[in-house]
Amino acid sequence: MKSRLLALSVALALGVSSGAVAQSRYVHANNSSYDTLDPHTVFDVARVASRLNFYDGLYRWVDNPPELIPWLATGHEVSEDGLTWTFTLRDDVPFHDGRMMTAEDVVYSVERMLAIARGSAALFLPVLDPGNTVAVDEHTVAFTLKEPSALFGSFVADLLVLNSELVKENEVDGDWGQAFLTENVAGSGSFTLTRYDPALGFIGTRFADHFAGWGENYLDEIEFRTVLETNTRIQGLMRGDYHGLDGYLAPDQVQRLRASDAVQIFEEESMRVFYFAVHNGREPMDDLNFRKVLAHAFDYDGYINGIMQGTVARNPTINPNNLWGVPDVEPYTYDLDKAREYLELVEGPIRTLRIGTLAGFSETEQAAALLQNGLAQLGINVEIESAPWPVVSSNMQDPDTMYDMVPLWKSTYYADPNNWVGELYGSRYAPTRNASAYHNPESNELLEEALVETDQARRAELYEEATRIIYEDAAGIWIYNTKWFGPYSSRLQGVRFSPVGNGQDMRWAYFED
Amino acid sequence: MRRLEIILSRFVWFIPTLFGLLLVVFLIANVVPTDPARIIAGENATEAQLAILRAQLGLDEPIYVQFFIYVRDLLSGDMGRSLYTQREISDDLLRRLPATMELTLVSITLAILIGVPFGVISAIRANTWVDQTLRVISVSGLAVASFWFAIELQLFFSTRLGWMPLNGRIAGFGPERITGFLLIDSVITGDWASLRSAMWHLILPTLTLALPAAATLLRFTRAGVLEVINSNYVLYETAMGFPRALVVWKYVLRNALISTVTQIGLIFGTLFAGAVVVEAVFDWPGLGTYAVQSILQSDTKAILGFSILVGVVFIGINLLVDIVHTFIDPRMVK
Amino acid sequence: MKAIRILLTDRAATFGSGIILFLVAVAILAPWIAPHPGDVNTFHLMNRLQPPSAENLFGTDRMGSDIFSRILFGARITITIAVIAVGVAVIIGVPIGLLAGYYGGFLGGFLMRTSDVFLAVPQIVLAIAIAQTLGPSLENVILALSLTYWPFWARLVYAETRALKNQTFVEAAIALGASDFRVIVLHILPNTASAIIVRTSIGMGATILTAAALGFLGLGAPPPTPEWGRMISESREYLPEAWWYATAPGIAIFLVVMGFNLLGDGLRDILDPKTRRRGGK
Repeated sequence: MKSRLLALSVALALGVSSGAVAQSRYVHANNSSYDTLDPHTVFDVARVASRLNFYDGLYRWVDNPPELIPWLATGHEVSEDGLTWTFTLRDDVPFHDGRMMTAEDVVYSVERMLAIARGSAALFLPVLDPGNTVAVDEHTVAFTLKEPSALFGSFVADLLVLNSELVKENEVDGDWGQAFLTENVAGSGSFTLTRYDPALGFIGTRFADHFAGWGENYLDEIEFRTVLETNTRIQGLMRGDYHGLDGYLAPDQVQRLRASDAVQIFEEESMRVFYFAVHNGREPMDDLNFRKVLAHAFDYDGYINGIMQGTVARNPTINPNNLWGVPDVEPYTYDLDKAREYLELVEGPIRTLRIGTLAGFSETEQAAALLQNGLAQLGINVEIESAPWPVVSSNMQDPDTMYDMVPLWKSTYYADPNNWVGELYGSRYAPTRNASAYHNPESNELLEEALVETDQARRAELYEEATRIIYEDAAGIWIYNTKWFGPYSSRLQGVRFSPVGNGQDMRWAYFED
Repeated sequence: MRRLEIILSRFVWFIPTLFGLLLVVFLIANVVPTDPARIIAGENATEAQLAILRAQLGLDEPIYVQFFIYVRDLLSGDMGRSLYTQREISDDLLRRLPATMELTLVSITLAILIGVPFGVISAIRANTWVDQTLRVISVSGLAVASFWFAIELQLFFSTRLGWMPLNGRIAGFGPERITGFLLIDSVITGDWASLRSAMWHLILPTLTLALPAAATLLRFTRAGVLEVINSNYVLYETAMGFPRALVVWKYVLRNALISTVTQIGLIFGTLFAGAVVVEAVFDWPGLGTYAVQSILQSDTKAILGFSILVGVVFIGINLLVDIVHTFIDPRMVK
Repeated sequence: MKAIRILLTDRAATFGSGIILFLVAVAILAPWIAPHPGDVNTFHLMNRLQPPSAENLFGTDRMGSDIFSRILFGARITITIAVIAVGVAVIIGVPIGLLAGYYGGFLGGFLMRTSDVFLAVPQIVLAIAIAQTLGPSLENVILALSLTYWPFWARLVYAETRALKNQTFVEAAIALGASDFRVIVLHILPNTASAIIVRTSIGMGATILTAAALGFLGLGAPPPTPEWGRMISESREYLPEAWWYATAPGIAIFLVVMGFNLLGDGLRDILDPKTRRRGGK
């Protein structure tokens, strides 16, 4: 109680000192630190808040299921050959310093992103070369792609536009303003940067002149703080120190928060599939029968109803159930007898298998332990190796260092089946994203066709068929699709969740009086 | 002259020790070649992107060339850029140093305030129940795992009773950054709410850190005081009829504190180490959390930078202790 | 024998050795005395996070396993880590200290400066860096601890050897034509033994704490290994409701470290009269 008063008085003191009256400030506790504000160098879900709230893209993802709405651009046209994409820009977009956005800003932003090759550049580099973006006129910009792409339209939400003049003024030795943008914002987004400390987080103030305008209710200030410890974030929310947390909580924590009056939980079906990536290129997993052994040796029910306490839904394939392009198939079941039958078809003794888990993500550790337990009953030994995500991730990208299996999630970077089945099992993405070393000419052809096909119905068919083949191949162990449990203060209204932005796009939210 | 000699010889070894440290940490950090380019690119990497990043980072050079380049840059104060935070490492470290310093300095003050008086009491009341109790507490203090103790403190004082803040250095962002020490900055800016908040946030972490340090000090002070009390001249003074309290404060303590002062220097070092774990529990935005984060992110250069900074601070403190020692302990200079 | 008898007269040391003997017994007998010996790697997912009861003395963990049984098995891991890590540190550190102390000169300077390098950073920092680079596993934790702890023994033995080298009996042995090896092994080493033993006992406690901290930071043995530090770190997600989850392993660590510290104190009194707790008796 005492420290809540204290927090309040500090907040008041700060509010008063910035010269305004009765400011409403939303405080969000985030699980990783905002080390950089540069929108082009990071592309992880954990640090999405600074990108969403300080910057705007050509389009924007909103709501669930995710919908792409025109944002900085009002629309686009694609040329006959599918190579040239022309976007018409709004002419009423002011940056935070008042300068109006033009096509040149978009061109500069694209070139910068491609040149520093980090973050969202991963989406663009395969289809777009530097120098192929031109400003047709002040408010029209055209991209010439390397190959036709059905997906380019959904990438442009991640094309965040910088105030090119401001950045250029602050370039040092041709660094594309990297030093500057680490700690400063040069955008047009819904909030302007008030304070930033990489060890703590950032504070943003509402940008009243934002082109999209504001409704009747809004937040005056947003504060995103780094609070690394899950338990602390939850306690803080219950005490009222924080008003929101990142979602995807473990069921035990959701239960705890539900018991608190100060907290409301938005529950949304998300698109984040939990699965085991299985190395299909290495024995014994290169044998279909052995992969079926694996598929039948995992206690799906125990995991979903025991550990996850029924808060998630079984997802039989790699594509999230609530997306299109999902085939109608029976999920694999935990059935050790069936597994034994398949095991008899596998030749020779089975070596000890290696599962890599993500240190600090207890769901992956628990899933690995459960599979280890199932396989042990079949006489198969499993070693679990826990390592931090960057290490696991970099090991996964090389077929030689890839573990035999890795339990992990695939989040939504863009809401298209290619984000899941395409990137994880298509040959063109091997070895970096298709870490399973899965190569099946039959499914691959379908996936390739879907990448250039523009007819939505046909694409859905293609993805359904490809996903079915991969399912029958038991190329992985697919477990569940996550629910997003967005814990917020009971006073907060208007939160708009989208699986792409994780409910951290704060321009829609406000406090109830 | 002898004193100067000792001090100089310590200084001479400063540089090679530091260089050795650099080499050792550099080797450790590069034993297993994780690919920094892959770490930066993350799960959405493409081969084309990796090629660009490798060239950017100069990773195509052989390892000894990388080491040479690293040392050369270091001499001009450039520790490189962190893979994960993408910021200048020296900048990251300097920004976080005050948080850790504030934590350790307050902790050591607390440890002295607890350890020394109780050590004296324990010695004066040797073998009474007071002494026995204090000794049990001090032995226990050295056996507790700090991370566990911190969690239990949080559970009890923050969660159950709600008296203490759970974590962090301050509510909100605190006063304008001048020195980086919140206690000092809030006084300078006259921001009393921040001062109170900062002090409030310091209590649990410093308690955790100070406990083993206070226990060590208590044991040393007790031993030191007992040695002096049992020495001939104190027996003589007491026999001469000086009041006991005067004898204790004037003669005993001054002599007994020689070993305690040395100990304080060493303890400062262990506190710095303890901060790594305690900061992790309390989300303290200092060097410790930075180190743990960069280790978990396989951020080689950040780990190197941290180790060097801590090494310099550590070696510096030991140097200081040695120098102070030559002044307060005449035997050394003989 | 005499030493043991004296040791038994020291209450603290007796208590300390009692705890350690108990720990060793528990570690050896774990499979027989644990009520649920299978719970090291089998799970009861419908019985997760149950508070202490007659069935589960210390409650159950996130996988529904019996915490009491896991603590007992954890004793094995703790002992293994401490004994091997400290053992290796002694095996590396003592010869280096002997050589450096006996020969002095450039070799001695070089060896001692090398140990200074390792002492220049807090042990836990180096251990974290090593354990992280090599990958989290029990073997690597042991390796990391050995590599960071040897300088303590090297320094200690170095100082003792320097002092002993000028003693008459050593000088006499050298004058009588004894080989360097013989002097070091037969005359110097035995006389440094008591200091080594005391340091080792206290070092065990410190090593257990550091190993637990590494486990806590996620750098120790992978799950579902019942390592105490890891159990505490696992528990954080379920606090404060599952208060029992962290309590038991924390107390286990506390008792063991206390045991080694008390034993170390007692041994110091007996073996090393110079630093005897003055007025303690």
